[in-house]
Amino acid sequence: MSDFPPAPDVAGTSLDGTTLFTISAEENATLCRSTGVEPAADGTAHPIYYYIATQVAMGKTVAGLCATCDFDVDDGPMMGSSGVRFNQPLKVGESYKVTGEILSLVRKQSRKLGVMDVLTYRLRLHPAAGGKALLETDNVWVLPRKELAA
Amino acid sequence: MTVTIGDALPPFVIDRISPEGMRDWSVFLADPNPIHLDVEVVKAKGLGDKRINQGPINVAYVINMLLAAFPGGRIEAMDSRFLDNVYEGDRVIAAGTVTAVDGNRISCEFTLNVDGRGAVNSGTATIIV
Repeated sequence: MSDFPPAPDVAGTSLDGTTLFTISAEENATLCRSTGVEPAADGTAHPIYYYIATQVAMGKTVAGLCATCDFDVDDGPMMGSSGVRFNQPLKVGESYKVTGEILSLVRKQSRKLGVMDVLTYRLRLHPAAGGKALLETDNVWVLPRKELAA
Repeated sequence: MTVTIGDALPPFVIDRISPEGMRDWSVFLADPNPIHLDVEVVKAKGLGDKRINQGPINVAYVINMLLAAFPGGRIEAMDSRFLDNVYEGDRVIAAGTVTAVDGNRISCEFTLNVDGRGAVNSGTATIIV
């Protein structure tokens, strides 16, 4: 590792959102059908909104999150893993806000990808009015550092 | 409903990954990454010659499999690892197995497989029934 400069020190960077995310019935229905199912009849949204709502309403765009890590989004960030813990299901017609932060950015050498940075960030989805998070998600992205290739 | 460790969950199949779905998801995700939209960009980046499905859609297929297996249940936790890409035209199969039963809490392992290429996503989930 000593051959490479360290990854940018971005742990702790806030990803708190400034806008609300509302799950519309129309979009939820389109989304459900695009994955081969009908929307739920009980008013719950497709659980994959855990990822969509937090990504769209976090405090940075995908490109902006990459830029914080000194990485150009056009160089192709890759999803490594995604985890979620739900306290409550998400509801159609409800509005939510996001809090979160970058947990770590770690530079590694990979046989397959060469030098890469592994970004881990955590996002929480709260009711728009505030209060306990309905869910918490940890996402890991792999940022290939082509410029550091041997 | 009786659930036992080792039970196989009914598979959920998407016969053909469509570019139209990727266009919709670019809007849902507010992420117009052209590798999901433009074959020429995929080729230029050396990533093959087909559009690449957004990763969260692949997770959604697995969620559909889990919720169909446990009607009325809800997902409490889920961890997914992205192993490979899914491309337009692929046929994908989400499948799972029960690994633990603790009262109304059921733990499962899952995979998302592409015909001819094997697992592209795998992980674990806990369902409350």
